Amino acid sequence: MAINQTQDQSLDEEIADLEERLKNARARRALATGKAPFLDPSNPIPVHALLLLSDSALPTGGFAYSNGLESYLAHLKLQGRIANPEAAFDSFLALSIACVASTSLPYLLAAHRQPEMLETIDNDLDASTPCVVAQRASLAQGRALLGVWERSFRVPYTSVSDAEAVTAVKILERFSTGLKSRNNPDEGLGPNGHLAPLWAVVSRAMGLTAQQTAYLHMVNHAKAVLGAAVRSSVIGPYMAQSILASQRLQEMISRRIEREWDTPVDRAGQLVPAMDLWIGRHELLYSRIFNS
Amino acid sequence: MPGRLAQPTTMRQPAAPIPSPFQSSIAKPGQGKVVLSLLPPANPTLTTLTYKYPLKLVPRTGGFVPSPESSALSDSCPSHPVHLYLLTYGGGLLPGDHIEVSITLEAKTRMVVTTPQGSTKIFKTDPNNSANSPNVIKGHRKQMPANPSISDMSQQTLDVHIGRQAALCYLPDPSVPFQNSRYAQIQTFTVDATAKGDQRSSLCVLDWVTQGRTSRGENWNFRFWRGRNEVWAADEKTGKSRLLLRDSVILDDESEDTSDEEDEYSEDEVERTDVNIHNGLDNHSNSNSNSNSNSITSSRPRPPQNGLTPMNIIQERTRPHGVVGTLILSGPVFEALGSYLMHEFQTQPRIGSRNWSDHGSAAVPEPSVSHHGDVTWTAARVRAGFVLVKFGAKDFETAKHWLGGLIREEGSVTREFGEEALFCL
Repeated sequence: MAINQTQDQSLDEEIADLEERLKNARARRALATGKAPFLDPSNPIPVHALLLLSDSALPTGGFAYSNGLESYLAHLKLQGRIANPEAAFDSFLALSIACVASTSLPYLLAAHRQPEMLETIDNDLDASTPCVVAQRASLAQGRALLGVWERSFRVPYTSVSDAEAVTAVKILERFSTGLKSRNNPDEGLGPNGHLAPLWAVVSRAMGLTAQQTAYLHMVNHAKAVLGAAVRSSVIGPYMAQSILASQRLQEMISRRIEREWDTPVDRAGQLVPAMDLWIGRHELLYSRIFNS
Repeated sequence: MPGRLAQPTTMRQPAAPIPSPFQSSIAKPGQGKVVLSLLPPANPTLTTLTYKYPLKLVPRTGGFVPSPESSALSDSCPSHPVHLYLLTYGGGLLPGDHIEVSITLEAKTRMVVTTPQGSTKIFKTDPNNSANSPNVIKGHRKQMPANPSISDMSQQTLDVHIGRQAALCYLPDPSVPFQNSRYAQIQTFTVDATAKGDQRSSLCVLDWVTQGRTSRGENWNFRFWRGRNEVWAADEKTGKSRLLLRDSVILDDESEDTSDEEDEYSEDEVERTDVNIHNGLDNHSNSNSNSNSNSITSSRPRPPQNGLTPMNIIQERTRPHGVVGTLILSGPVFEALGSYLMHEFQTQPRIGSRNWSDHGSAAVPEPSVSHHGDVTWTAARVRAGFVLVKFGAKDFETAKHWLGGLIREEGSVTREFGEEALFCL
């Protein structure tokens, strides 16, 4: 019996060991297929840049914008359609993510893949932004990001030897000069400084992949909307974190990125026509706590 | 007047397509080409007018003349407008139809384009149910090729070059996509980049889409509709062109996404939650979707062929509207209308405040109408002098009266192009 017990024990150990190895192999496999791009162990440097760019303390002023949430809630109230604010917000978040993905991701990915086209992409995104409220928000955040880049990130990240990153640094420099020397701001045809393409080129200069850049952009958007919801007292801060952490949100973001991955910029468009109306009518709100 | 190539003015056409005298110059079915020139002294003439079945381009003769005497022509109004009807057999597009219209407005010309068919129907030919198909001549449109995913998309492209000081007024009927239809439309307008001030090209373009045939209970049940409008400024000398404006709306039920079950699940969950809110309070809008809520909870994944049942993604993204649209205005001819619309928008009553009521003007469509949810709209003066109006309304009639009312109230379109420019409104 004693022998059998030892046998059982060693078999148990073997099983546990195999299970452990299987788990590790599966995890590595998942990493290789890109399910969790930012944890790729073969490319450790960008993780630091990812943490920098995902920091809510990054002074781009995202907290000043509700991305249409405030106006949406006001319109629901107006139409007597708001029964359960949490459910209404849940629905808004999905719409907002779909909308931001379809209207900005093609431009972001294009700028990441071809940073030298930054000015054209910036112009085309400006041409495609139908309302001044959204335009203001995108410009303010884009220019703030450029400011952070110049004041804080440029020096540490210029020494990176990666040739592509060096190109991106030069392009940002040129763009910034163009933005500052823009002679006729009323015409609206100089460099503008929209968030999505600048985000892409800054991320590229800091060594992030297109996938990471896109995912980060979407997560930051979700954070901004969730933050606005907390400040509007629609949901509580713990609820916000739980939504942010949820599998559903992750899948939603991945799915939207996958959908826009190969979308050329001229196929970008508004998936949620109602969003343009809410954001555009933010200006009509009697009282407002957000800039958009 | 477009005397040279004038077609019979009557809209009634013989059952079989007339062999076009220009057939040799037109390569494919559905293509059309129009050039409007200003012959001296001030005689707008269609120097080219060709089209091929199922497209039809008909100039309207004896149309609007802005004032009794041609001496009224001035720098600001250098020529009389020419009115062109854009038609398709059957009043719409069948799967696989590809309409391709190219219009050139040479310097100082003006054109009104309308679609005198009530709506542009986007058909879906279902092999088991031909009731949806229009009454067109059998055999003249090709049968659908075997691969439906490529062939069943209807497409329309409109390419308009607007010369210096020329103006286009294009206020068509809305697009009405039938259940399960797929449609893509690309409208490109190219203006002269070198023209400044009063010399600039002008355009007024309306693009709107409805939820379908409400009489049949359709409520955003089509599969795909994309409307893209672009305005480019081109410099002929340098050959360079720059995108001035891109307005692109994509209504996609996403049924063709390679999505796994889990994705499907999460989307449905959003919809269900929302329908619950809907049922809880919303008694005055969109009763269609209310009655459908039971089938939503019980049917997952969505039944692909039964478009009338679930609260689909397009409904969700357009709610609570039954029609959404965009009006694009640019150039000196439409400056007054643009300013008027901006003013009307900015003086709408504030949302969330007490309605002190005298903010709204006495315009025919009272702003309070939109305030109460029938028409929700926004106007913005975006770059390069464009005024962009986006609207959503509960149904086609509401939107039509609202927009027609605003444009008539302001009056400059009627003055410059005649009441017939508002044919579809």
